[in-house]
Amino acid sequence: MLATGSYNIFVLVKQVPDQGSKAGINPDGTIDRAKAKRMLNPFDRYALQAALFTKRTYGGTVTAISMGPPPATEVLLEALEHGVDLGYLLCDRRLAASDTLATAYALYKTILYVGKPDVIFCGLQTTDGDTAQVGPQLAERLNLPQITYCEDFAIVNGKVEAQRIIEGGTQKVVTDLPVLVTVANSYHALEYKSFRGAWRVQQLKRNPEEMSKYIRTVDLDVIGADAERCGLKGSPTIVAATEKVGEIGGNCCMFEGNSPEVLISDLLAAANVKEYIAALEAK
Amino acid sequence: MSDEAVTNFCPKGDVLVIAEVAAGELQPVTLELLGAGRILSDKMERSLLCLVLGHNLGDIPQKLIEYGADVVYVADHPELYQYRTLTYRRAVCDFLESLPEPPHTTLLGSTTTGRDLAPRIAAHFDTGLTADCTELDIGPYEHKSKVDPSKVGLYPNCLYAIRPSFGESLKARILGPWKNPQMATARPGVMIPLKLDPNRVGKIVNVPVNLQPEDYRLVVADTVREISKGFKLTEADVIIAGGFGLGSADGFELLKKLADCFPNSAIGASRKVVDLGWIPYQHQVGQTGKTVRPKLYIACGISGAIQHRVGMSKSGMIIAINKDPDAPIFKFANYGIVGDVYQIIPEMIKEFGAVIKKEEGEPVGRAR
Ligand SMILES: Cc1cc2nc3c(=O)[nH]c(=O)nc-3n(C[C@H](O)[C@H](O)[C@H](O)COP(=O)(O)OP(=O)(O)OC[C@H]3O[C@@H](n4cnc5c(N)ncnc54)[C@H](O)[C@@H]3O)c2cc1C
Ligand SMILES: Nc1ncnc2c1ncn2[C@@H]1O[C@H](COP(=O)(O)O)[C@@H](O)[C@H]1O
Repeated sequence: MLATGSYNIFVLVKQVPDQGSKAGINPDGTIDRAKAKRMLNPFDRYALQAALFTKRTYGGTVTAISMGPPPATEVLLEALEHGVDLGYLLCDRRLAASDTLATAYALYKTILYVGKPDVIFCGLQTTDGDTAQVGPQLAERLNLPQITYCEDFAIVNGKVEAQRIIEGGTQKVVTDLPVLVTVANSYHALEYKSFRGAWRVQQLKRNPEEMSKYIRTVDLDVIGADAERCGLKGSPTIVAATEKVGEIGGNCCMFEGNSPEVLISDLLAAANVKEYIAALEAK
Repeated sequence: MSDEAVTNFCPKGDVLVIAEVAAGELQPVTLELLGAGRILSDKMERSLLCLVLGHNLGDIPQKLIEYGADVVYVADHPELYQYRTLTYRRAVCDFLESLPEPPHTTLLGSTTTGRDLAPRIAAHFDTGLTADCTELDIGPYEHKSKVDPSKVGLYPNCLYAIRPSFGESLKARILGPWKNPQMATARPGVMIPLKLDPNRVGKIVNVPVNLQPEDYRLVVADTVREISKGFKLTEADVIIAGGFGLGSADGFELLKKLADCFPNSAIGASRKVVDLGWIPYQHQVGQTGKTVRPKLYIACGISGAIQHRVGMSKSGMIIAINKDPDAPIFKFANYGIVGDVYQIIPEMIKEFGAVIKKEEGEPVGRAR
């Protein structure tokens, strides 16, 4: 029997530059964030799906939280279109250049401000920060148990039963709520936008006053965060230097412009694949 | 940030490796970290420490010494027999607090376990942590930015935590010299372990473990380790990897046939096809997947993005098949075939199968 309840579900989403698009990618490989196309962090789509599935299956409300510059509203609207109930954007210039520790602190203060979650879903990692650290760092601040690399999440008789990926296998874990979960990309893909959600966002876009009720923008003062612990000042790490990765090898022996038969026989003539295979077989 | 944190100007200190033991076995990444950690601690002329957690660890502490540790701290407790976030977090934090001075550097593997644990430790101590490093070093740094005047100065002994960064072809050097321990996780399969030396001497010290009731909030009900082919990616001699160029999930059937031509082979994949659901995540090679070092890596329809490259560029021999002669993978493959995977691979299967047949005088097939 499934216990149904009115679960307070939070999902953390981030807007990241779209890597698929060449816009805003400087010749030296760095990103011009103002010019780059933006998108919802692909990993957060799985977190969103887990949050919405939990709401649908067990009852409750889903609040999406994001920290970022004003355009990050877009990912909250996208979340609303998928069926999220409410969005909060933490937006403050003093957050610029936050590393994961400062980000986790700011999100922690946001969560305390927004309410008491039963479960917080995060993406496994972001494609720009790409650390998978914010989730566990947040769990530490909130003193919560965590389930990272989660690929299956259920609430059975009020307890969480989940499956997570471990090195070379999987693990089933059981814990109480509240809990913080980072959702692996082996979880179910995000479903299509809900018709109702999309319609609602259309309505909201025409009515800024209504919009501000569903997408609430807060700053460090509102949530009562210590600005010294945010942004560059609150970040224990900095990027000191970036360097272009030198081309490795660089003398690839190419085979081209012939029939597959010729290409492969040329390859076998040039490469000691034969010896490789023989050596492997000998083991 | 406390005053002390900004005025200590990054003193030298010991290097600590947190060992990883799974199912009673020391994980290879720990030996790699000891190899990397040894270089760092030698540069500072300080000790290499290793903390190992578990229960009934047998000769593992001794082995850690033979692989380079000067002092091995053993946290032995029945409840530490398997990894759990909160119990391990408690034992590691208590241990670090018990040291007379924090280590200069603390290293973990960026495995599912290390990536679960390291951020909790870093957040607890409010210290910096860099994920998924591919190079580590110690060196000076001068901080000039006046945003925070208290940070300005010359730091002689910073941990350089180097990792591939966002964007196509950049490496970032990340530093956090303001507070020790400076933390990093390093990718498995990247750092080089020392040769085992049975004559190396070191100290083994037992440390107390005081777990609290709240550390048991999460229970592990069941652990399944897959041993099936394709999942032991990191141990395969030959990896046949597929990317978006396969066109569909069915392409992996063809790759499996090619893999069957080789002993101890496995199937790898690019992130794009994993995201598309063509093949499970466990097969993913690259920055956010596995780092592999097979003897032979055949990349089929993979463009060779930096995030893929960092996971496989150390392979013994790389053969790439791609229909685009300008594909980045041809910049670092050893042998490149310009062509359609669906024309080239069947031909390869024919030829490689034949090679085995000739060598062995047996029917084409996989020696098992
Ligand atoms: C933070 C971050 C982390 C990432 N981590 C990883 C990671 O761990 N692993 C990873 O792989 N990627 C990772 N990526 C993604 C990476 O940037 C690339 O997008 C991805 O590797 C591309 O996959 P692909 O080569 O299969 O696809 P594509 O780039 O689309 O390349 C397909 C290739 O197939 C060729 N092709 C097409 N048809 C054929 C045919 N019939 N025969 C032969 N060739 C053909 C094309 O010429 C092309 O070169 C990451 C990205 C980010 C931002
Ligand atoms: N600025 C942010 N706003 C909201 N959520 C975030 C932010 N940064 C990170 N997260 C969450 O933390 C996860 C891991 O991010 P990272 O540690 O940057 O790889 C993401 O998938 C998000 O769920």
